[in-house]
Amino acid sequence: MSAVIDIQGVEKTYKRRIKALRGVDLSVGQGEIFGLLGPNGAGKSTLVKIMMTVISPSKCTGTVLGEKIGDKNTLQQIGYLPEHHRFPAYLTGRQVLEYFGAMSGIQRKQRKAKASELLELVGMESWHKDKLGSYSKGMRQRVGLAQALMNDPKLVVLDEPTDGVDPSGRRDIRNILSHLKDEGRTIFLNSHLLSELEMVCDRVAIMVHGLVRTQGTIDELTADQSGFVITTKEPIPEHASSELNSLSLPEQAEQTSADTIAFKTDDATKVQPAIDTLRKHNIVIQSAGFKRPSLEDLFMQVVSTDHGDKPGAISGARSSKKGAKS
Amino acid sequence: MILTQTTAIFLDAYRELNAKKLFWLTLGLNLLVVVLYASLGINEQGVTLLHWKFQNEFFTTDLVSKELFYKLQFTSWGIPIWLSWATAILALVSTASIIPDLVSGGTIEPVLSKPIGRVRLFLTKYLTGLLFVGLQVTIFSIGCMLVMGIRGGAWEPKLLLAIPIVLAFFSYLFAFCAFVGLMTRSTIAALLLTMLFWFAIWIVNVGDAMMIAQREGSILQVEDAQADIEKQTTFANKRIEQLREQGKPIPGEDGDELTNGYTDSLEAVNPALKLSRSRLQTAQEGAETWTNWANRVILVKTILPKTQETVALLERYLITQEEIAVLMGMNEEQAARMNRNEDEPAFADPRAPARVEEVMRKRSTTWILGTSFAFEAFLLLVSCVVFVRRDF
Ligand SMILES: Nc1ncnc2c1ncn2[C@@H]1O[C@H](COP(=O)(O)OP(=O)(O)O)[C@@H](O)[C@H]1O
Ligand SMILES: [Mg+2]
Repeated sequence: MSAVIDIQGVEKTYKRRIKALRGVDLSVGQGEIFGLLGPNGAGKSTLVKIMMTVISPSKCTGTVLGEKIGDKNTLQQIGYLPEHHRFPAYLTGRQVLEYFGAMSGIQRKQRKAKASELLELVGMESWHKDKLGSYSKGMRQRVGLAQALMNDPKLVVLDEPTDGVDPSGRRDIRNILSHLKDEGRTIFLNSHLLSELEMVCDRVAIMVHGLVRTQGTIDELTADQSGFVITTKEPIPEHASSELNSLSLPEQAEQTSADTIAFKTDDATKVQPAIDTLRKHNIVIQSAGFKRPSLEDLFMQVVSTDHGDKPGAISGARSSKKGAKS
Repeated sequence: MILTQTTAIFLDAYRELNAKKLFWLTLGLNLLVVVLYASLGINEQGVTLLHWKFQNEFFTTDLVSKELFYKLQFTSWGIPIWLSWATAILALVSTASIIPDLVSGGTIEPVLSKPIGRVRLFLTKYLTGLLFVGLQVTIFSIGCMLVMGIRGGAWEPKLLLAIPIVLAFFSYLFAFCAFVGLMTRSTIAALLLTMLFWFAIWIVNVGDAMMIAQREGSILQVEDAQADIEKQTTFANKRIEQLREQGKPIPGEDGDELTNGYTDSLEAVNPALKLSRSRLQTAQEGAETWTNWANRVILVKTILPKTQETVALLERYLITQEEIAVLMGMNEEQAARMNRNEDEPAFADPRAPARVEEVMRKRSTTWILGTSFAFEAFLLLVSCVVFVRRDF
């Protein structure tokens, strides 16, 4: 799998003060849906804008579609949906597509055909004659997405594509993304909405404060934290707990809190002795099962451990706090 | 690809103007003025407008040919009012938003992420503004040419020079407007500051015309004084000759003392010469002062774009100096013959305006256009550098 995006050490300092990116390394393979997530202000949009030549990096090596970043001709093969876009309000949906298609150098005839095709794809065919000024946020987002596809891009870059879109619209957009992936396009998307990414992304990277903390498939990222977890109704008493420890249970059973024991194994038979022990002490088991952290858990871990320490590290500690830092 | 993109940008600019109702409005206004021009007429009694008639002594077909009448109408309000002010103001109002709209947040990102260089993008947008004005002026000048041809019987293709000339004039202002629009991202600021800039240029032009009038006036005074001194010297020499023939003493010669502060015998025999000489000195001092001032203003003008002069080029091409002299009904000799009060300021000399006109006409097209385009090119260069380097 050749890398569509392969960048190292991207740095960006705005106006000599704000360090938005502090050395980002990223690699996106051909044909995958890659999700970049991070709290507001992490620098996601900044990274995308650098790839799209909207802003210039302070420091950057690497390639997009095999060409150096900043190369204008490569843009012909990239589709881009900016965050907070404002397409001309005096244009109709169809005119927006044709205008940006023309800016990508598409010939008139192809433009017309492609615009019709895409309006149907994003479900805007019945609104194509209305001016953008009369569209809702979700409709504009759909047209924006269609606009990004006018040039038949090999790489589609979407900055917060589901921003302001209602749940059914989000599902539509997810379906479109899967459709694009089936067509063999690579998709790079930015979001702070984790469940969105979890559903569609092949690989994700988590960015905090201008650094990519971790990247990989969701399975890879969550592998060392998934396993069997037993929770009890009451806190486990001291004597039961010490007996459990003496059992020499497999895969480093770990009591993560007074009423929870986690096992780093996916083999159910190996945890039965623990259940036996707990039951022997008449402890009520609330739940027992295989648990894998969600993207949100992972995300919260990364965000909460961001104290400017070395990038790429995930510590095992869990935080129960919710809400993104910005 | 370049063609596709350029066409798309032009089409987009048209749609934007059209959405603001400005495109057809300005075009309609231009046509209205042409119709007004066509409905003016001249006959044996005077001037007509549609079926109204206005008695006029000067403007009758006896004195002014139909051809000259239409030409005069064009040069008396077509150029100085419509083309130099109205067109530019209408165009500025219509196009001031082009650059601020381009660089506003949310609009610029999708455009910058297309395979088009920033310099080309900026310059193409700049050109759309000029194209709009070009269209307006083209319609107006072709209309006027037809009116002049059909109603006045004079086919004057030189009228079409209005297109490049007005375009050049507007492009100076628009370069400034685009620059301010880029820096401030505000249409209102771009529009107001451009108007202010234009006003400043106008002030400098007024100053320039005043300094030149003063200078030319003083030069005329110097010339008058010199002629006078020559006359008085001849007279004094004759007087000395006479005295010599009569054997009388000549003041300042043969030990005869000069009295009353006379500097030589010429003055002593003709006191009027002393007066003329002092007048020459005053006039020369004046000429020197005004020349200095005029030179300073010219220095400022050299940097600034020459809006008025550029439009005046059109007049220069359409009406010759001789025609002007005829029209003024007064040429230099006539003016010279007129009695003048010596206390009047120099620029009040009735011969001065003609001289000023001559000086203005002597300013070369190369200087006018060259320095103006240099200014414009500089502004565009700075704008491009800013646009290319900016993070959006
Ligand atoms: N044009 C800009 N000028 C100065 N600072 C900026 C600019 N754009 C973004 N920033 C700053 O850079 C940081 C990253 O912003 P951004 O890339 O938009 O984050 P995200 O998209 O992840 O929410 C933020 O602190 C933001 O304030
Ligand atoms: Mg963002």
